[in-house]
Amino acid sequence: MSNIIQVLILGLALGGVFSLMGAGLSLVFGVMRIVNLAHPSLIIAGAYIAYWPFKLWGVDPLVMLPVATVIMAAIGVLLYKLVFEREAKSAKYSEMTVLLTFAVAMIVEGALGGMFTNTQRVTSPSYATEAIFIGDIFIPTGQLYAGIISIAIISALALFLKYSRFGNAIRATTQNRDAAQLLGVNVNLVGVVSFAIGIGLAGAAGVLVSFVFAFFPAKHWEWIAILMSLVVLGGMGSILGTVLAAFMLSVVAAFVGAYIGATWSTMTFFLALFIILLVRPQGLFGEKPELA
Amino acid sequence: MKNLLVAATAAMSLMASTAYADNLKIGASLPLTGGFSIAGEKHQLGYQLCVDMINERGGILGRQVDLIISDNRSDTATAINQYERFINVDGVEAVFGTFSSRLSFPVANILAKNGFVHPLPAGGALRIYTQGHKNIFYFQPNVAEYVGATLKGIIEDLIPEGEAPSTVAVVAADDFFANAVEAGLLGLEVTDPADGSLVADLAPGFLISTGIEVVYTEKWPEEGFNDWLNLANSIKRSGAELIVGLTASAEEAVQLTRALKTVGATPKLVYLSQGTQSEYLEGTGDAAEGVLVHTSWHKDVNFQSVLSGEAFSNSDFVAAYQAANGDVPDEDSAIPFAVCQGIEQAIIGAGSTDNAAMGEWLTARTKDAPVQTVLGRFHWDERGLPINKPYIMTQWNGGELQFVYPTDEFEGASKMTYPKGKF
Repeated sequence: MSNIIQVLILGLALGGVFSLMGAGLSLVFGVMRIVNLAHPSLIIAGAYIAYWPFKLWGVDPLVMLPVATVIMAAIGVLLYKLVFEREAKSAKYSEMTVLLTFAVAMIVEGALGGMFTNTQRVTSPSYATEAIFIGDIFIPTGQLYAGIISIAIISALALFLKYSRFGNAIRATTQNRDAAQLLGVNVNLVGVVSFAIGIGLAGAAGVLVSFVFAFFPAKHWEWIAILMSLVVLGGMGSILGTVLAAFMLSVVAAFVGAYIGATWSTMTFFLALFIILLVRPQGLFGEKPELA
Repeated sequence: MKNLLVAATAAMSLMASTAYADNLKIGASLPLTGGFSIAGEKHQLGYQLCVDMINERGGILGRQVDLIISDNRSDTATAINQYERFINVDGVEAVFGTFSSRLSFPVANILAKNGFVHPLPAGGALRIYTQGHKNIFYFQPNVAEYVGATLKGIIEDLIPEGEAPSTVAVVAADDFFANAVEAGLLGLEVTDPADGSLVADLAPGFLISTGIEVVYTEKWPEEGFNDWLNLANSIKRSGAELIVGLTASAEEAVQLTRALKTVGATPKLVYLSQGTQSEYLEGTGDAAEGVLVHTSWHKDVNFQSVLSGEAFSNSDFVAAYQAANGDVPDEDSAIPFAVCQGIEQAIIGAGSTDNAAMGEWLTARTKDAPVQTVLGRFHWDERGLPINKPYIMTQWNGGELQFVYPTDEFEGASKMTYPKGKF
């Protein structure tokens, strides 16, 4: 019984990290219909922002959380202006963003490799490898902190989206871009800000990732499929859905890993993606696509 | 005057291109990005340092060496294409091998088809050497299936009777190299993936023959695995006194070690197949203490070798590497350096870059007339595997990677810390 509880805890802990990693991806798709394949590479960029101050001066990665968020949000604005804005009115915008963000991912990976080499990095604050032991059960503090901070950030984002005027504009744009524009919403500004928030979330997630996983520039290829499975299961564009999917799949993967085999735990994410696309393509919280 | 300038420029260009054309081109496809990039970058440094030093000393047979390195992104198909391109487009006269068994296995067929000598810096899976190729030469002590002999030797020779671990957990990446080490440890059959035929039956395996009971085995996928704490929890709950972690990369070694520390595992002994790199220590800190890692090379084992026909010791290599790169090398740079030394000696020995003649010269090496490298002396059996070369077992102690075994082969072996205890 204690092992079941333990595996559940480990699954939830992993889910907390994945939820923030996926939240920005979901927001950017929801508002702007950008399938951002570069999202994990930007998470890794955020991880480097935490890594170097830790390596050089021993700065706790969590101190760098707001810094990384702001820097990556600024990069998000630049990226949007340079890459996406001019294509925003294209009839095949979403399809084009797949190729564009693929290219961005390659560029980010190359730039990070050029600047920081391709060697692995990880930050090692003491809590990253400590745990709180309660009898037989342990709670890893690194993942606990990462999970709590993830939920706090996502909750703040949810409150902002629900109760602020600009948040309402974002939600309106998510639901119907044309209608929002007709009602006076500056959808271009909403687009820029949403993209910046999404990439800022990638920066924040990167800081948390920096002490949970070892990372290197090419690591993002391992994460994109997992994150896409969370976003699709949750419903493309639904942040709540992405968070729930992150916890659900991480817990299921943990049990699969513990009781069937570690080889199959990663497969859980892809199997879920496959099944959800067959059974409920709009995901748990997504809207059913209209028939032409 | 204008015509004179044009003529001079043309003449200089012609001279430059003639000189360039006379250079000896050597190609190497390396994983500079992707999953194997950590080792790939270090291989590049090793190859480049060796070529630079050879060129400073006048080149090979009086010809400067042009090293062409391409990034294969840790991708098998790309590695194959790049070696094809080296041979058929770039016109290289020799090649250096790539990193990892996964990439080396198919590359071996391409180089054999084209009659090129294939010196492997990394590619320890036995299956690579049982395909019948005659042009292949491995520049590490032995295939991965037999690495376990060193672990067995440590347990039998260095641990007092009655104090040895009695149970073991073996966890491994589902990777060419890690599977090969696992097969040797657990006594599995190695089969040819093409036709399923038996390559080797390794029963009973080094662990069982040591009298250790296997209480837990697990495999994780080659890429995309994140659930390290769950794996470490299962290892801890198995109660194993010896933990064997067969990771395919240094990154996995870091993840596994950190996870074992987090869950509070307290084994007597831990052996990993990767983790000699400084990045491993940086990522694990105190948790690395007492961890054993096998290696082909160590900075304190002062092998005597030859470079450009002159005596060149392992210490010379360490000093040259530090001067060039500002860092102490690890085996991922030393092994490719040795490959480069081997090819240089083969070209000089054969008197040309005729790969058939180079292959014959390498095949003819003996114990008394070996290839001499910073990894020691090499001569090979008919499969291309080194004869009588033991692996070196190292252990992290006090933040330093010390070599602890074998104790009678080289001078300067440190005392092994045992038991390890908590991470």
